Amino acid sequence: MPGPTVIERLVADVARQIRLRRAEFYGLRGLFWGAVAAVVPLLLKEPLGPWSYAGAAILLLAGAGAGALWGVLLRLPVAEAARLADRGYALQDRISTALEWAERPDRTPIVEALVVDATARAEQLGARRIISRRMPREAKLVPIPLLLGLVLAAAPPIPLPQGRLPNFSVSRDEDEEKAPGDRSGDIQQSERKQATRRDPVQRADVQERNLSPRLGGGGQSQPGDLAAVFKDTSLGGRAPDFNSFLKKGDERLRMLDSLDRLPDLQSDFTQSQTRMVFQKAKALRGGLDPNKKVSPEKLRELLSEMERLGRKNGGQGQGNWSGDAYEGMEALEGGQSDRAMEAMERALNKMRSMEERGRDGKSLKGGRESERRGGRRGDKGSGQQGGPGDEGDFPEGEGLLPGRGKSGAPKGDATARLRGSPFDVGVEGEARAGRKQGIDTNMVGRGAQMPSRMQYMGVLGQYRKMMEESIAREQVPRDFQTQVKEYFQSLDEK
Amino acid sequence: MAQPPVSSESQEQRVTEFVNAYQSLRAEVGKIIVGHNEVVSQVLIGLFAGGHVLLEGVPGLGKTLLIKTLAESLELSFSRIQFTPDLMPGDIIGTNIIVEDAQGRKHFQFQRGPIFGHILLADEVNRATPKTQSALLEGMQEGAVTVSGASHPLPAPFFVLATQNPIEMEGTYPLPEAQLDRFLFKLRVRYPALEELTEIIDRTTHVRSVEVRRVLTGPQVLSMRELVREIPIASHVRDLASFLVLATHPQWERAPEPARRFIRYGASPRGAQALVLGAKVRALSEGRFNVSVEDLRAMALPALRHRLILNFEGEAAGVDVDDLVGQIVEAAETMSGAGKEVFLR
Repeated sequence: MPGPTVIERLVADVARQIRLRRAEFYGLRGLFWGAVAAVVPLLLKEPLGPWSYAGAAILLLAGAGAGALWGVLLRLPVAEAARLADRGYALQDRISTALEWAERPDRTPIVEALVVDATARAEQLGARRIISRRMPREAKLVPIPLLLGLVLAAAPPIPLPQGRLPNFSVSRDEDEEKAPGDRSGDIQQSERKQATRRDPVQRADVQERNLSPRLGGGGQSQPGDLAAVFKDTSLGGRAPDFNSFLKKGDERLRMLDSLDRLPDLQSDFTQSQTRMVFQKAKALRGGLDPNKKVSPEKLRELLSEMERLGRKNGGQGQGNWSGDAYEGMEALEGGQSDRAMEAMERALNKMRSMEERGRDGKSLKGGRESERRGGRRGDKGSGQQGGPGDEGDFPEGEGLLPGRGKSGAPKGDATARLRGSPFDVGVEGEARAGRKQGIDTNMVGRGAQMPSRMQYMGVLGQYRKMMEESIAREQVPRDFQTQVKEYFQSLDEK
Repeated sequence: MAQPPVSSESQEQRVTEFVNAYQSLRAEVGKIIVGHNEVVSQVLIGLFAGGHVLLEGVPGLGKTLLIKTLAESLELSFSRIQFTPDLMPGDIIGTNIIVEDAQGRKHFQFQRGPIFGHILLADEVNRATPKTQSALLEGMQEGAVTVSGASHPLPAPFFVLATQNPIEMEGTYPLPEAQLDRFLFKLRVRYPALEELTEIIDRTTHVRSVEVRRVLTGPQVLSMRELVREIPIASHVRDLASFLVLATHPQWERAPEPARRFIRYGASPRGAQALVLGAKVRALSEGRFNVSVEDLRAMALPALRHRLILNFEGEAAGVDVDDLVGQIVEAAETMSGAGKEVFLR
């Protein structure tokens, strides 16, 4: 097989062309960036002096040179050059195939013919440039930094701004205060003096706590109002003092570091602590996803608060929940979260009982009756304010129903007066089918046609709508949905 | 695999013989067939590549005539099967029949079907049931058919040329993908141009007797098929073939946007084989000893168009598979680094 020297020479020639084009391409690109960089020393002509020209020229040449060098040194596989030779000379991949297959051990006899053919064609080729010049995008922009550089070189030096930052150092401030006469006539100092005189705000170290609302700072605090957190503190009235801040920092920042010490002004303090704990517990339980477990940290925190409140209220009686809360905490420490939850439930129940006792006669249970009972108890000299007596007087299932319990209410069986007059209204009842025992009632007599009755009928539609919405929102348990619907259907039928 | 040293002159001689045979075969077909130069070339490429060709075109364009003329130009046996819905596999492959020998003993004897020919014309192949169409599968792929547990080799070269009509699809059974994949090429026979039509009229309505010579024998065809496989292919050209086939797969991470949008299934590895083999024959037919990128580009349409299955969006948008293949070829060339900016890398 003839050696592919002619082919190799051709490929080498093409490779040289490629390197040249690459050098041009990347050289132009480097020239652009070098020109951009050269503008900088020309801008700094004033401080740099004649070095700025030299720096600009060096940057310009370095950019172009580095780009060209990069282009020359860029990797160029022989196969790629051969492909470009094939393309440039329209040799239909003869050169690249011959080069690749000439050395392969699995070459077929026809490869020899291919090499001969490729060599013959390569020999016929005249030396010409087949790699076209490509211009980078930056090439079009090269004149801009070049012109700018020329203008800057020709123009006088640009004066750079001479500015100094004000000196806030404390020692300087104090020195000035100690020796005001040293700089008499200094405008800056006179201005500072005036400013000091005008400043009516007291410094933090001499100010006492001022509870009166500041101008513009009073009124209802808004959510996100960071200033509100300082409103109730001694820092509320202090004006920011920058020098003091530089010297020893700011109390506000220290306060913000320990957030737990800040008062929560957004919360409603009209509620009792017990109620807040109760609400927190309720939120903790109500927000529970059945698939998720309650966080032990939150539970521990809540129990701790409950225990603290229980101790604060004092007493070791049956109504105190401190023991339950403590038991819950112990259970939680032992990893028994179920027991802890049970203990919390017990504590909450006790807390609820105490709250209801505390409401006394104003509770929803009693009204006038409770007041009356309270009065009666007062007559007996018990001294207790309602509360515990409620449960003793009216056991579960009993109450003010006529003829039941210990109530002395003068209500009994229906009198014969009913239906004695055509205006009397009677109520008929019939057992309703369903899981729960119930009686559907219906008014009879003239009263059934009275306007009040008509309003009742009219409002049924609204209730039905609310019922459907409730079912849609799944507020009604699934097992009772059918029964609720049937109830409203039965109302329609009547 | 190192080959015994053979002089370059003898190799050139082989290639020259190939080119002459190819040209003479084209000339013989051209005596009867007017125009359809590309289709004729691709049919011949399919013949020398050792594949089978499916021709699709409306009736009256000369598909059957082209195949018959080709068969007449070769010293090979020719069978024609007109596919109809009631055609049975046994009608193609053959069947065992009871024969009586001289002693009066009866036994089964395999009666060969029309598939046992060198050149098989499966006319209107989509009119037969899939069961009958499948009878061709084994023969096309393996070069043999199996009947009652006995394998019967088909004569070599075995070349199936099937035709189908893209319209009048009622009562037809479109070829399943497995069957389509066994065709090396699918060629679309277009309507002739004005000059070609005039020539067709002149040739077919005058008293003229044209004699078609037999220019190639079966062993010659087989020898040329061997030569085709000796043609070297450069790695970057082979890589382009791989890119082309992979680019038809929408699941491929570098698949071009048209392939992702409109293709459900891409070409199989048989597609890549068809591309390279076709490109080799094309290179040889032009007297070249190597495969070029242009050869691959020319073979992309016939080798890939029947191997792409459009998705619903493609079908609904009426996407032309040929256009799609063109876009995929462009994308594959870019991916394989055949772009113009290559020297900057």
